Amino acid sequence: MFKRLHSGLFFWLAALVVVVAVVIVLMDVSQHSSSAASTPTNRPIAAQEGDYVTSNSCRACHPGNYASWHASFHRTMTQVATPATLIPDASNVELSFAGRQYKLERRGGNIFVSDRSLGEKDYGPPRQVVLLTGSHTLQILWNETGQGRTLEQFPFAYIIAEKMWAPVTQTFLMPPETKEAYSIGSWNGACMDCHVTQGLSKFVEGNKWDTMVAEFGIACEACHSEGREHIDANRNPLRRWKLHLTKSDDATIANAKRMKGPESTLVCGQCHSVWAFNGMDTKLDWNQSGGKFRPGKEDLVQRFVVQPNEKDHSAQKDFIRRTEPDFYRNRFWGDGMIRVTGRETNGVQESPCFKGGNFSCISCHEMHPTTTTRVALDSWARSDQLAPKMDSDQACLQCHKEMAARLTSHTHHDAGSAGSRCYNCHMPHTTFGLLHAMRSHQVSSPNVRESLDYGRPNACNLCHLNETLRWTADKLNTWYQQPVPELSDDDKTISAAVQWLVKGDAGQRALLAWGMSWEPAQKISGRDWLYPYLIYSLLDPYAAVRFDAWKSLQTLPGFSDFKFTYTADAEALGAAVKQSYEKWWSEMRPANPNFDPKTALDPEGRFQQDVFGRLRRERDDKPIVLAE
Amino acid sequence: MNYSNRHLRFGWWALAVYVCLGIVLETMHGFKIGWYLDVGNEVRRLMFTLGHFHGTMLALVNIAAGLTIRGVEGFRLRPSVSFALIGAAILLPGGFLLGGFFTYDGDPGSGVWLVPVGALLMLYGVVGFALGFPPKTGETMSRRKKR
Repeated sequence: MFKRLHSGLFFWLAALVVVVAVVIVLMDVSQHSSSAASTPTNRPIAAQEGDYVTSNSCRACHPGNYASWHASFHRTMTQVATPATLIPDASNVELSFAGRQYKLERRGGNIFVSDRSLGEKDYGPPRQVVLLTGSHTLQILWNETGQGRTLEQFPFAYIIAEKMWAPVTQTFLMPPETKEAYSIGSWNGACMDCHVTQGLSKFVEGNKWDTMVAEFGIACEACHSEGREHIDANRNPLRRWKLHLTKSDDATIANAKRMKGPESTLVCGQCHSVWAFNGMDTKLDWNQSGGKFRPGKEDLVQRFVVQPNEKDHSAQKDFIRRTEPDFYRNRFWGDGMIRVTGRETNGVQESPCFKGGNFSCISCHEMHPTTTTRVALDSWARSDQLAPKMDSDQACLQCHKEMAARLTSHTHHDAGSAGSRCYNCHMPHTTFGLLHAMRSHQVSSPNVRESLDYGRPNACNLCHLNETLRWTADKLNTWYQQPVPELSDDDKTISAAVQWLVKGDAGQRALLAWGMSWEPAQKISGRDWLYPYLIYSLLDPYAAVRFDAWKSLQTLPGFSDFKFTYTADAEALGAAVKQSYEKWWSEMRPANPNFDPKTALDPEGRFQQDVFGRLRRERDDKPIVLAE
Repeated sequence: MNYSNRHLRFGWWALAVYVCLGIVLETMHGFKIGWYLDVGNEVRRLMFTLGHFHGTMLALVNIAAGLTIRGVEGFRLRPSVSFALIGAAILLPGGFLLGGFFTYDGDPGSGVWLVPVGALLMLYGVVGFALGFPPKTGETMSRRKKR
């Protein structure tokens, strides 16, 4: 009897276990099917596309490379908006711009935006924030529009370093009257071209898009091409070991390291360049079928890199010139050198180094550092993803080995000084974007002609801020036998930096406002005379110039905690300028001032009104946009 | 050949080796050695962990084998089975450990090819050992019936 009871108990226990297992499996199945059914309809989605397998598939075999990519800002270029990805200050915020008031509210796991005209009582219907751009310098929010997967930009961006909101139009160098940076649908029609991996814009009608992407952000397959064939082939361990032991290239996947310089550069250049479509047909093809470029190809297929001085695509470049007259001015200096950041390929391709056929972005940068600790990866990501020692002369000496032995005879500066660092002379800060200046990636030698003919600040005067173009011309003549060009009286007597800051276009002014914070320049040019110019620039009509003047002022003694709302109205800006000028005049000015006349200040530190007023009247006020 | 002593001696020495290896691995954790812990060295960490686990377990299996030979009356052990158990205890963890020293991104080094050989030896050894027990005798049967 006991035996029967015993076996009966066993049966019921076994039955219970089976029932519990079935319930668990059913719960999993229902969870999966419900998540599939809840695919969002109000934003672009990540979906299976062709042979794209997503970074999750790469992770198992390439954990180190996955880790470095995961730590990079490429990954977070576009993210679905969740409480984890949105910057912390994005809930319960109220902001005003261009006559409208905006409210950001967190409800559960989502953030919503509603807006109203100033003076109106009620906010309009809330719209969900669905996607985010950026996590390094800025974070920009994108809202649902009620038109399928079409997105609309939230008009404010969050400046991460400053922990502040600013109108998007004031986070790029844009004319003050600009009220809208990107219109509805711009993300689907343009931004996503480079901010996701293999996007399909899929235009529907009107301003409606049915956008999908292989993966949000710039993921593995953006640079290595589709992974399906690679994964299928390498399931075979014998194949893998054959590749390991023979150190052979794996032809099933693209790898910029194995490419020649031009192809390797184009892997980055597919996004980091000023590019245009070959024609309307390729643009439509791009929108409906996605990009045809794959890493390793010699050209961008449906697109081309716009190099103003090259002979290729002349019909397309003429078309651009006719239909968008400011296209070149807003992106290039007069001699065709790129002047905006994020488009470094234009500079690299025009560099003499590039002509050798081996030089490419990864000659100095690396996407997958060997050390994969969190600290090391964070440091690498925040230092421009440079390879080890590439923040030193070694970047150039890896090819120009002979220079190491004759460094000072070449540079005419002390070996340890900033003037003997290759990149300070050959890659000066002449590109601008995202509120800061960046080094030019067109390797060149400083000369006065570039400043005279095209207005581009030369490397010498970007460091020797207090010196004239005449001074630079003389030095370059003595040291490198460069001919001394004909110079105006101003160029002989007034600091080049002062001229660019006061009478230059907004791009030049922004470069100088930023450049006055550059430590080597402050060290060699003196800091005392910079105050009045930076304080003056706090009133610049371009917000980007005001921002950089503010940040540069904070690098000067006595102003490190200087508070300034660069987006404020004219009255508030004026009050801040008055207050800071008084502070400088009474507290920071030297006890026995004797300012250099080249700075256009009188010995006491006041602007030489005749000179300053004239330069100010000559200011280049032609509207300019330097979008990143 | 006294197989019992051989397996006991091997088992205890192997256990000593893997205790030492465990200390080394703990030390690498303690000092956060990137060569072992970095995400990029995930495969090395996995291989060393597997090597340590299999080495320890197979050391214990050899000790159990020695005790079984000694304690079970009429146990018949073929020399090849004894060889297989010891060989498995060397090749299986050894393959993992060697494979962990030199890695190819997501793949262990070539030493890992010792692992399947060790696994086959282990299978042969365990099955052979199970077959080494004497058939049920009348005495043992009647003892069970009494229960």
